[in-house]
Amino acid sequence: MNRKIIISGTLLIALLGAAIILAALFGAERLPLFDLNEQQMSILYDIRLPRILLGACVGASLAVAGAGLQSLLRNPLAEPYLLGVSNGAALGTMLAFVFFESFELSRPVLAFAGAGLATIAVYQMAKSRAGMNVERLVLSGVIVTTFLSSVIVMLTTLLDAAKLRSFTFWLLGDLSQATTNGVYLSLGAVTIGTIILMSQARALNLMMVGERDAFDFGVEVSRVRVLVFGASSLVVGAAVAASGSVGYVGLIVPHLVRLTVGSDNRLVVPFSAIAGAIFVVFADTIARTAIAPRELPVGAITALIGAPMFIYLLRRS
Amino acid sequence: MLEAREIFVKYGETMVLDDVSFELDEGKIIALVGPNGAGKTTLIKVLNGTIEPHYHGRPILYGQDMLSMSRSEIARNIAVVAQENETRFPVTVVEFVLSGRFANGNAFGWETEADVEFAKDALADCDLNGFETRLMNHLSGGERQRVVLARALATNARILLLDEPTANLDLAHQAMMFRLVQRRCLEKGASAVVITHDLNLAAAFADEIIMLKDGRIAAKGTPEEVLTAENVKHVFGVDVLLDENPASGGVRVTNVF
Amino acid sequence: MSAQKSRVFLIFGVRVKKLNFRKVRSESVLAILLVAAAFFVGCRSNVSNSNTTSPETVSMRRVTDDLGRTVIIPVKITRAVSLAPNLTENIFAIGAGDRLVGVTTFCNYPEQAKSIAKIGDTMTPNMESIIALKPDIVFVSTASQIEVFMTTLEQQGIVVFVSDPNSLDDVFQSLIQLGDLFGTRDQAETLVSNLSGRVGQISHLVSFVEPRAERTVLPRVFVQISREPLFTIGKDSFITQLIKAAYGESVTADVETAYPKLSKETALALNPDVIILSESDDNRLPNEVFRNSPAVRDGRIYKVNADLLSRPGPRLVDAMEQIAKSLHQEKLRNK
Repeated sequence: MNRKIIISGTLLIALLGAAIILAALFGAERLPLFDLNEQQMSILYDIRLPRILLGACVGASLAVAGAGLQSLLRNPLAEPYLLGVSNGAALGTMLAFVFFESFELSRPVLAFAGAGLATIAVYQMAKSRAGMNVERLVLSGVIVTTFLSSVIVMLTTLLDAAKLRSFTFWLLGDLSQATTNGVYLSLGAVTIGTIILMSQARALNLMMVGERDAFDFGVEVSRVRVLVFGASSLVVGAAVAASGSVGYVGLIVPHLVRLTVGSDNRLVVPFSAIAGAIFVVFADTIARTAIAPRELPVGAITALIGAPMFIYLLRRS
Repeated sequence: MLEAREIFVKYGETMVLDDVSFELDEGKIIALVGPNGAGKTTLIKVLNGTIEPHYHGRPILYGQDMLSMSRSEIARNIAVVAQENETRFPVTVVEFVLSGRFANGNAFGWETEADVEFAKDALADCDLNGFETRLMNHLSGGERQRVVLARALATNARILLLDEPTANLDLAHQAMMFRLVQRRCLEKGASAVVITHDLNLAAAFADEIIMLKDGRIAAKGTPEEVLTAENVKHVFGVDVLLDENPASGGVRVTNVF
Repeated sequence: MSAQKSRVFLIFGVRVKKLNFRKVRSESVLAILLVAAAFFVGCRSNVSNSNTTSPETVSMRRVTDDLGRTVIIPVKITRAVSLAPNLTENIFAIGAGDRLVGVTTFCNYPEQAKSIAKIGDTMTPNMESIIALKPDIVFVSTASQIEVFMTTLEQQGIVVFVSDPNSLDDVFQSLIQLGDLFGTRDQAETLVSNLSGRVGQISHLVSFVEPRAERTVLPRVFVQISREPLFTIGKDSFITQLIKAAYGESVTADVETAYPKLSKETALALNPDVIILSESDDNRLPNEVFRNSPAVRDGRIYKVNADLLSRPGPRLVDAMEQIAKSLHQEKLRNK
């Protein structure tokens, strides 16, 4: 059992390394393997690598947030994008974009706040005396998502045409604005978030079976809830501020991880982080190269893969 | 070990528990009986600190007010078998049972050898050898019920609170369940509060029976003292025939239709 | 989507009726009156329609628009609506601005356009505001769901004319065409000959300063439409032609579509000599990737107002002048 975990963990990390190296080999510009000139070095280190690393951070963020929220809400279909958490962060980012453009840090901060508020809103709506069933949760997510979308659309009327185009592209999930600072910020957020979620993994193992059970067996349920909501808002906020709304990563990655290592969150959380990173790096490589020198939004690629998978999971569960 | 002291609980304007007091001593089993809606499950929830009672009444654990204790402190001493939950996640039986050891370890850590030993023993006790890698949502209702009991036993807590543990069980496993609880009490000085609808099981295994009706204690004492035709008529509103159980020598209750 | 919406509305309508049925009778009487009134109005508009087609009141004529549709328009246009800022500029330029009764919120030039009634923006014009203005004709470059849009207006007896100039030549043709429609052909011809004179002058000036032997080495130009994400001009943009006409070489002339989002790697590798910024609030600086490009090194960053650059109207010639002068500054100065 343990041996299998060590093997698959090592394999997954190796796969992430391979994915990053492979992604670095492909791009709109063809780079030689050795003897890069100054400009080629610049393309590799200033543009391509930051973008790949940001993609890895965003993928890891969304996947761990998905894993955490699913266990907390006892619902394998919970996902930051479907629950409206991403849209909350998007609205926060957009407010920063419209009102505090000069202050760069306002984007992730407001994204975090927006994600947190959306999470609380969905949770309050989905909760009822009888508990929280799948349908209620998904429906609440849809309602919050569409509500926030309409607020976003209303806000876009404040933007001029040029800004609108940038914003629309960003909204679909776009990693092209990767900067080294952005990578540090995302890496910091995802590291903290993953550590918090892993520290709650044992509690989540009880929570995903039942809140009452968890309480009976010694879990401070409300504290776990605050920590998991906080951590997922943190990582989703950072991811959305950096790259817009990249959908479905948080849904399919934890699910695939559970199929291979089981439901123990002490494994599901870190494995999801790595697998999510691989998934987004892979999707973004397609986004960068499919119609080069033009680019596709990475969110379109993840949705293209994720949506059919979501339907499949919905029918199976 | 565990004491309920003047417990009042209100849901809105309805008084669900109305001045309930009793004590659970080491090695004893108390059976909690009464009609639906009498407040049995609520009482169990009060006894492990899930529901905070109104007024000055308190659940007391080893002489200490339970409301001032942390969840894990309570969980180390009290294990609950609630009416079972279903999960949509692929959780294996052994993972499920090990999760019961939560209060005995640190959050980050993995289970120790001792944790695994407790889990193995509990699984063996509940007749679940060979079930370790089965998935919870592939089990039958009765099998799942036994796994839930195994999780409670694996905590090694000295007090067991069981809410209708026999509801989904066949005849053999009903008896097994009670014998297991009884053995824990005899061998390890544990004690238990069991909600059951089966008055004969209660009579056979409990040291004390508490009859609840409309949130009040209607009768309390040994099975012989409590299980009288008047009490049963008063609490359940049915006529019963009482005689001696030929197997155990205790009281036997037969419904008169 | 819209079908679904109207069905919901219908159901809702029935519900409202049911609810009010017992309570208020006068309301249903009112409803009948309203229906009757609507019927009368309908009849009357039918009548007035047949009036307009009769030769005594308004004389009509046939013209062909940019979609190749034959449309019947009044010989004398008195009330026009423009749904595109460049068309508004064109109509003012040929001296028919006083006949515009409605424009979009984007129409900010010339100054007089700002005081004309606004009917929404180009992509989502407000149908009711347009109809309320009772125009003879509505000028459109493009719109979302343009077919539905045209059918609705034409049912109201309002002619829709599509004019979508997409190059400098198109602009000249559009000006002449508009002159025809508004009866200001002379003024339009003068304008066009002026404008094309200026274009000729620019080419002459630039070709003069650019010795023949060196003409093959044109300045390599990158046009930045937006900084983040990085949008530029592509094969189908009229700006690409404009750069060419100003003796520059657009480095993204081969990229598909008109305004593509470009890979930053490609942008960096392009190494442009000159960067032209389509000037707007968040597009005043070249993207970070051009840090080491000759354009940034030599300080050859030029801004052209986004309205000038992006609207195929008479001011496109201003944009061309600015571009040409920017590209060949030094040589012009030496001269």
